[in-house]
Order: sequence, then C-alpha cells, then structure tokens
Amino acid sequence: MRRREFLTTATVIGSALAVGGPAVLRRAYAQNPIKIGMPAALSGGNAQYGIQAKRASELFAKDIKGKGILGRPVEFIYEDTAADPATAVRKAQKLVEKDGVKFLTGVVLSSEALAISAKCPEWKVLFMSTINGAGALTAKSYNRYFFRVNTSGPMGARAVSLYLAEGPMKRLFALGSDYAWGRDSVASFSAQMEAAKREIVGKEYPPVGTKDFASYIAKVRQSKAEGVYLVLVGQDATIFLKQAHQFGLTKDVKPIMEILELENMKAVGDAMEGTIGSSRYPFTVDTPKNREFVKRFHDMHGMYPDMFDGETYEGLEWLAQVIQKAGTADDVEKIIEAWEDSTYEGLEGPFLMRKCDHQAVQPGFAVQAVKDPKYPHLIPKILATFPGDKVTPKCRTEEFS
Amino acid sequence: MSLILEQLLNALALAGLLFLVSAGLSLVFGILRVVNFAHGVFYMLGAYLGFTTVAVTGWFWPSLLIVPPVVGLVGALLEASTLRFIYRRLPIYQLLLTFGLALILEESIRVLYGPTAKGVEPPPLLQGAISLGGLLYPRYRLFLVVLGLVVGAAVWLILTRTRAGLVVRAVAQNAEMADCLGADVARVRTLVFGAACALAGLGGVAAAPMTTAYLGMGIGVIVDAFVVVVIGGLGSIPGSMAGSLIVGAAQTWGAFYLPETAMVIMYAVMGLILIFRPWGLFGEEE
Repeated sequence: MRRREFLTTATVIGSALAVGGPAVLRRAYAQNPIKIGMPAALSGGNAQYGIQAKRASELFAKDIKGKGILGRPVEFIYEDTAADPATAVRKAQKLVEKDGVKFLTGVVLSSEALAISAKCPEWKVLFMSTINGAGALTAKSYNRYFFRVNTSGPMGARAVSLYLAEGPMKRLFALGSDYAWGRDSVASFSAQMEAAKREIVGKEYPPVGTKDFASYIAKVRQSKAEGVYLVLVGQDATIFLKQAHQFGLTKDVKPIMEILELENMKAVGDAMEGTIGSSRYPFTVDTPKNREFVKRFHDMHGMYPDMFDGETYEGLEWLAQVIQKAGTADDVEKIIEAWEDSTYEGLEGPFLMRKCDHQAVQPGFAVQAVKDPKYPHLIPKILATFPGDKVTPKCRTEEFS
Repeated sequence: MSLILEQLLNALALAGLLFLVSAGLSLVFGILRVVNFAHGVFYMLGAYLGFTTVAVTGWFWPSLLIVPPVVGLVGALLEASTLRFIYRRLPIYQLLLTFGLALILEESIRVLYGPTAKGVEPPPLLQGAISLGGLLYPRYRLFLVVLGLVVGAAVWLILTRTRAGLVVRAVAQNAEMADCLGADVARVRTLVFGAACALAGLGGVAAAPMTTAYLGMGIGVIVDAFVVVVIGGLGSIPGSMAGSLIVGAAQTWGAFYLPETAMVIMYAVMGLILIFRPWGLFGEEE
C-alpha cells in the first residue's frame, strides 16, 4: 500500500512539475537567450529562399555576438517547412509551444505566411515577414501581430510600372504564376500600365512548376508585344528566360521581372543580360551601410547577398532596435507598440513602420541585369530609385493614390 | 502553317523528354512490379551530373555517354542493397522505401550542389535557332525529338529482338517459371533497375540545357511520367511512346489553345483511359 501511495504522489508531483515547470523555469532564467523561430522552407524546390533567410540570420548572430540584445544572447531555432502551409503551421506551433519563441520570421511562401499569420493573435507571438509578397497580408488579412519589413508584391509592380510609364514601350504582355502572388501582381501591373496609356496585349497564368514554356513563348511572340512582364517564382523564371533565349524571343521582346534576383542571374547566365525589373533589395545600392554589409556578408558566405539575404538582415536588425526601445523581449504587446510608427535606417535607405497596416515604407527600385567584370555573375544595376511614399499602397489596400 | 508546325515540334520535343523518363518507370513496374517513386530523382541526378561533366570537361557530348552508366550504377547498387530484400513484402513497403530513397537522394544533391539552379549550355552545334520554312526553331529541341525516337527504337529492339530481351520478358511474364528455367531472376531485376535508372539519367542530361538542373525537377517529372505510363500501359515501350506523345501534346497544345484548362486535359485523358481501358493503350489485360 505504501509503495502504491508513494507512486501516486510521485506521479501527481511529476505531472504538476511537467505542466507548471516551464513557467517557473522561464522566470528563473530571465537572462536566457532571446529565441527567434524560423519556420523556413529549407528543403525542396523553394529551399533557396529559406536558405537566404538562414544565411542572413547567421551573419546577424555573428554581428551581435558578445553584446546581444538587452544584454541577452540571441538564439535562432530553424525548422524546415518544405514550403507546405500545413507543415509550416505545425512547425510554427512547435516553436511557440515547445521552444517558447516570441518571434517568428523567415517564412518563405505567401501561402505559408497567410496560414501562420492567422494563428498569431491566438499564440500572442510577433510574426515578422521579410520575404512574403502577397498584398493581402497587410490588407485584407491584416492582424496586429504581423509586421512586413520587406517590399510587397504590389510595391514591386508599382516600382516597375513607374519606370515603364516614363519609357517608350507601348505594348506589354503579362505572364504570372498561377497563384495568389502571380495573379495579384499581374492585376496590379495591368491596372497601372493601362492608367499610363499602355496596352496590355495578353495575360497568361502558367502553373507553378511549368518545365516547358514553348506554348507561352509562342503566344508572346504572336501578340507582337515589346515587353513581357514576368511574375514567376524563382525556378520558373529561370526556365522561362532560358527557353525564351533559345527561341530567340528575347531579341524582340524585353523581359521585365517583378523580382530580378541573383538566383536567376546565376542560373541563366549571360542570356539574361539587359533584363529589367524591380528588386526588393539590390545589393549594389550605394550607401555606406550597405557597402559594409555586402563586405561582411561576402566574407562570411563567400557570395554576394541576394534579395532576401538583405531584407531578412534588415528585419532582424530593426527587430533588435525595437526590442531595445521597448526594454523587453518578452512582452509582445509592448514591442508591437514600440514598433508602430518607428523608423529605421535600412541598408538601402530610410524605413518607416506604418501603424495603420504594419507595412514598412521604403524605397523602391527599378534595376537591370548587367555584366560587370568585377563580379562572377550578372548584377542588378539600379536604373531608378523611387521614394517610399510613391511605391507603398494606401493603408490596408493594394491600391495606389 | 508555321504555327501548326511549331506546335507540333513543341509537342514532339516534350514527348521525347517524357519518353526517356517514363520508359524506365514502365519497365521497372512491368518487370519488378515496383512503383518506383525514386525514378524522378535519378532523372534529377542525371541533370546535375551532366552539369558537373560539362563543367569539368567543357564538352556536352561526353556527358551524354558518361552520365547514364553512372546513374545506372547508382540505381543498380541501391536495388541490390535495399529493394532486393523486400520484393516479397506488400507493395506499400516498396513504395515507402523508394519514397525514402527519393528524399535522401534529393537532399544529398541539395547539400552537394546548393540551392541555386545550375544552367547547362547546349553544345555549339545545337545552339541558337534554325529556320524551317519561315519558322525559327531552337536546334536543341529538334535534337530532343531525334533522341527520343532513337532511344525508343533501340530499347524496343533490345527487348524484342535479342536474347537478353527475351529473358527480361520471360521474367516479366512469370518470374518463378523463368527462375525454374535457369534465368537468374535477381540479377535480371538488378540489371533492369539499373538500365531504367540509366534511361532516366539520360533524360536528365538531355533536359538540363532546356530546363536547367534544379531542385524539385524530379518530383515535377515523376507525376507526368506516371500519367504517361497509365495511359500507355504498364511495362510497354510502345505504350510509353504513345503516352508521351499524348501527354506532350495535351500539355503544349492545351497551354496554347485552352490555357485555363491546360492542366486538366492530361488528367482527363488519363481518366478516360482508366474507365474504358484500365490496362492502358498498349498494356495487356490481366
């Protein structure tokens, strides 16, 4: 009998500790690291973007080593979502409930971001986007736990549109990946180009993962367009550009990309020379802060930073600044208040976090892929820089004034 | 006129590529009775090894000869060290095993090559476009059409006109009986698996200049290849050819004439086949 009683008591105490433990422990280790969770796509076809976020976090961790944030060290916890929204939510939940993170970032696809963002008010954790493009995240699907540091899809379309409105091209074709980002950006682009008295001579939506673009290339050629606007996910864009070059299409029709990435320039090579587009972060921006960053990044990783390397680094640095200002890394509500309407000196210029929709107002760029003997691949040359208020949509909308 | 010709060539070029992948898938199912989920990854492995060969030697042509045997060897070794032991188990075990192999191989390639896609230039002879009665058409795609036809004919001849082909067909028809008659069934299976992987590897090398070598290319192609095999009939080489032509045409013409429903057409054809001729166009009723 005594043995059984002992066992029962032990079990009860044990369970009590297991349940109540984490809270007790958290208080005891106030100087524990600040944990940042990254549920990123690190395997599969979209791994390139997750790996960019990871690379940026590694450099950030190195840069603040020793001083930390509020004197506390920073710890990144990575989880692989394989770019699947259901997995992403499960991994994010694990990070929140098991690891006790208060900050999530590094999410790759907009579909994953929409799924995770919807859960954040319930979890009471802050979700900082540094990659996700879908306009809805700061418009229709806005919630106060979601912050977008990066340039959104509609903002990219806006920058290109402003540039083309000054240029000579009259007839344009739009080609967008068949999901939220592609369709949104094509709609946004078409509306703005038509307002600028340009003709949209065709629109097509190839499915994600298309490996043969021959039929679309034939359509673009038939339409007698002068330029083709491309909103294609990384790999699809590479394949399209490669095949368009083989068909000789790019001699007559200029490719214009919603995002002009190093990933594409490395894979397509010289065939991509002359392509124009917008960039969320072109590493060639000439500011003292960026020059320093590019050098540190190259020293650590042996390559030049791509768009989401830069955007993710900026997000992390800004988040650290906001945590310092709030004086806490645990009270998410306080941190949200501290972030709203705050400013930050980013790599490519000044940033402002709008209180009304948590979209960061920042400069927009039109760039061109050019050869430069100093670099091992094509680089984005900046053609035009637009101030933040010109490229950021009206609050909680995807429209521009 | 030139538009019709262009559409026709587009369909044929894609069919050539699809055939190289689906022929092996079909053979493995016909002879080993295994649905090989890892087949697409051997195609991807071929593309990446092709990139390496071109980068090292500076030539495209050698990669067409070197890479397929290497991929075939990898496949044969994997068959002999894993699959061989579970043929007697339920099919679900084989599916799980090949799925696991696919994941391991794909992630190994990512670790080795990094996430950025690898571009491969076609050989100088096949670069640029050629004029066909007013139509400018990429030379490399014409090469894919020819390659598909030549390899298809070669595989078909080997299977139907040689002694080795006879043994393979015997094992496919009745493995136990073939065993009793003195065929080394285990060895035949390993060789067939290796040959199928080599075909996929050849497909990968050939695809790289058109699509680049990239992560996820294996998963993308395996779905199409399954559809080809279902339409054409399991284990039939002429079936794989017919299936590749149908899927190639459905994808390219669908994307051109009916873009909103392009993806559906291919599956609709497959659905019709499954309803009216479940064993496929060239398969044998069981």
